[in-house]
Amino acid sequence: MALEAGMIAIGAGIAMGAAALATAWAQKTIGAAAVGAAAENDKMFGRGLIYMVLPETIVLFGLVIAFLLIQKIV
Amino acid sequence: MFKPREMQRTLIIGSKQELTHTIDLLHQLEVAHIVDYVQPEKEPIVQLGAPAQDASSLSQQLLKLRSSAQLLSIPPEQPPVSAKMSETQLQKNIDLRIQEIELSVLSLAEDKKRVEDHLKKLDERIHQITPFSDIDIPLEQYQGYDHLKVFTGYVTEIKKLEHELPTITDEYELFLSKTTPGIMALFITKFQADAALKLLSETGYNEIKLPEGNGLPSQFLEKWTTQRQELSEKLQQITTELEEYKKRHIEFIIASEEYLSIKVQKAEAPVRFATTIHSFLIDCWIPTESLQHVKETLEKETNGSLYIESFEAAHEDEPPTMLENPKPVKRFEYLLDLYSIPNYRDIDPSIILSLIFPLFFGLMIGDIGYGICLIIVGYIFMKKLKDSEAFANIGWYIIIAGIFSSIFGLFLFGDMFGLAFQSAAAEAEASSWSSILHVTIPIPSVIHKMEALGLTELLIISIIAGSLHIGLGLLFGFISERKEHKKHAIGKIGLIFVLAAIALLIFVMADWTIGQWLKPLKTTALAPFLWNYLIPSLKAGFVLGDLVIPYVSILLVGIGLGIILGTIGGFGLVEVLEITSHLMSYTRLAAICVAKGAMAFAFNMISFTLIFNENPNAILGIVIAIMGVIVIVFLQLIVFALGSLSSGIQAVRLHYVEFFMKFYKGEGIKFTPFRYQRKYTSTE
Repeated sequence: MALEAGMIAIGAGIAMGAAALATAWAQKTIGAAAVGAAAENDKMFGRGLIYMVLPETIVLFGLVIAFLLIQKIV
Repeated sequence: MFKPREMQRTLIIGSKQELTHTIDLLHQLEVAHIVDYVQPEKEPIVQLGAPAQDASSLSQQLLKLRSSAQLLSIPPEQPPVSAKMSETQLQKNIDLRIQEIELSVLSLAEDKKRVEDHLKKLDERIHQITPFSDIDIPLEQYQGYDHLKVFTGYVTEIKKLEHELPTITDEYELFLSKTTPGIMALFITKFQADAALKLLSETGYNEIKLPEGNGLPSQFLEKWTTQRQELSEKLQQITTELEEYKKRHIEFIIASEEYLSIKVQKAEAPVRFATTIHSFLIDCWIPTESLQHVKETLEKETNGSLYIESFEAAHEDEPPTMLENPKPVKRFEYLLDLYSIPNYRDIDPSIILSLIFPLFFGLMIGDIGYGICLIIVGYIFMKKLKDSEAFANIGWYIIIAGIFSSIFGLFLFGDMFGLAFQSAAAEAEASSWSSILHVTIPIPSVIHKMEALGLTELLIISIIAGSLHIGLGLLFGFISERKEHKKHAIGKIGLIFVLAAIALLIFVMADWTIGQWLKPLKTTALAPFLWNYLIPSLKAGFVLGDLVIPYVSILLVGIGLGIILGTIGGFGLVEVLEITSHLMSYTRLAAICVAKGAMAFAFNMISFTLIFNENPNAILGIVIAIMGVIVIVFLQLIVFALGSLSSGIQAVRLHYVEFFMKFYKGEGIKFTPFRYQRKYTSTE
C-alpha cells in the first residue's frame, strides 16, 4: 500500500508540475507579445490580459487531476 | 439598468443664418452626440462646413494664453474653484488682458533666462579658476609664449610627476596649488612639450582650461563671486516677481482658458456638419428621453425655423453607448471599458460585475485580517489617488472586495492572517488564535482551507459558482441574440442543458460533500420530497468504473446536443467542449484560496518557531522573538500583496473570458455629447 500511495502521490505531483510548466511556457510567449501590444496601444490592455490568462486553465486541469489522484490514497 | 440608454438618430436642418445660434443651443443642452459628416468623393453640393470666422483668431488667443500659462508653470489640470467667473465679466477687455499678460510674462521669462544663462557661465568660470586661486600667477601670463608650452590641470600622481620631470629637461617650472592637492601649472620649453604630455598622461593628467583675462586668479575669483551673488539675488527677485504675477493672474488665466476653449469648440463645430451654400445639416444621436425637450427648446428659440427629424436606430447604425447605473455600480463600468466599451445592443453587465467580481475576489482571499487590510488599502487609493479615475475606481473595487473577504473570513473560513480562530478537530494540536492567545474565540471555521475535506468543499463551491455564472452568461447571450440571430440564441439554451448535465455529474461525484450541506433541510417539510423523490432520481445512473453517470445527465446532454446540432450545427460541439473547460476554469477559486491560505499558514509556522522559541538564554530568546516578529510582518506583507494581486486578476479573468465570451460583443462608441464641462466659468 505504501508503494502504491507513493506512486499515486508522484503521479499527482507530475500532473500538477507538468501542467504548471506548460502554462508558464504558453504565458511567457503570450505575455511578451501582450505587453508589446499594450505599449503600442493602450486599448489592447484588456484584450492582452485575456490572451495572457487563457493558458491558466491548463494548470487547473492539472490541479483537478492531481486532486482526483490524491483522493485515491485515502 | 441592463441596457444602454436608448438613442434616436436626429437630423437638424436649417438655414446658415441660424447656424451659430443652433450651435449655442445644442452646446447648452449637452445631450447631442454629433456624428461627423464624411463627404463622399465627387460630391458637389453637400460639403463639409467651414469654421466660424473668428475661429482662427480665437485659437491664436488661446495659444498665447496657454504659452503664458506654461511660462508661469500653471499645470493644465487645476482643482475647481469655488467662485466661478462669469462670462460677461471675462468678456470685458479679454483681448487686451491676454496681450498684457503675454507681454509681461514674456519679458519676465526672458529676463529670467538671461540671468540664468549668465549665472551658468559664471559658475563655470568660478569652477575653473577656484583651484588656481592660490597660485599667484596673473592670468595673462598663462598664454602668449613663443617658446613655452603651458599645461594647467589636475594630476593624480603628483609625486611621480615631480620626480620624473627633471629626467626630460631642466627647462621647466612647476607650480602646485597648496589648498587643492593635484592642481598644477607646468611651464615647459616647447621642444619637450610632447615628452611632457606623455609623462602627464601617465600620471593621470586632466586638463583644466583657464579663462582669459588680466590679473591674478584670486582677484578674478573675488570679483566673480560678488557678481554671482548679485545675479542670484536678481534671479530670486525675478522668480518672486513671476510667482506674484502668477498669483495675481492665475484665476483669470485658467478661467479665460476655459472660456476661450469653449468658444473655439463652438467656432470649430461646423467642420463636423454637412453644409450647402445656404443651409446646414447636423447629424447627431440624442437619448430618446431628452429628445422631446431638445426639439421643443430648438423650435422655441429659433421660432420654428429649423427642421428636425428623428429615427430609431437602423440595423446598420452604430449608436453611441451611454450606460445608466447607480453610482456605486458606475465605477465598475471602468472595468468594462478596459475590456471593450459595450456595444449599443449589448446587455450592460456592470451590475453583475459589481456583485460577482468582489464576491469571487473575496472568496479567494477569504480572511478577515486581509479583508480589513484591503479595505484600508482601497480607502487610501481612493483618497490619495483620487485625481486618477482609474486608481480611484480600483480603490473602490478593493474596498468592496475587502468587505466580502471579511465576511467570508468571519463566517465561512474563520481565518485571520492565515490562522484559524479555532483549530480543526482533526489537528487539535495545531496553532490557532485560540491556542496562541489562550482564550477560546467562538468563531468556528465552517470550511478548513488546510484540510483535504476543505479543498473538496471549496472545489464544489467553485463548480456551483461556475455553473451559475456561465449559465447567467448563456442566458444573457440568448436574450441579446434572440432577435437578430435566432438560431444562435436557441443554441445557447442547448448549451445550458449541457452545462446542467456536467454540473450534475460533478455533484453526484461529490455526493457525500453535498449531502453534508443538505443535512439542515432534513428537519424541514421539504425533506420527504428531497430524500424520497428528488435526490434518488438525480443520483440514479449506471456505473462506469468508479464513476456513476446519472440518467438525468444523459437525458440533459441528449436534449442539449440535439438543440445544438439542430441550430448551430456540428461547429456547436466545439462550444460544448469550451463550456466544459470553462467550468473547470472556476476551480481557480478554490485553488487560489487554498494556495494563498497554505502560503500564509507555512509562513506563520516558520515565524512562530522564532517568536515562541524556548531559548535557555532569556536575552537571546527575546532577540530571536523580535526577529521573528519582523520576519512575520514581512512574510505576511508578501502573502497579502501576492494574494490580492492574483485574486484580483483571476476574478477579472473569470468575467472577461468565461462570462463575457457568452454574450458580450463590445467595440462600442462612447456617448460624448457636444458640451464642455465648466470648472472655472459660469454663464451667469
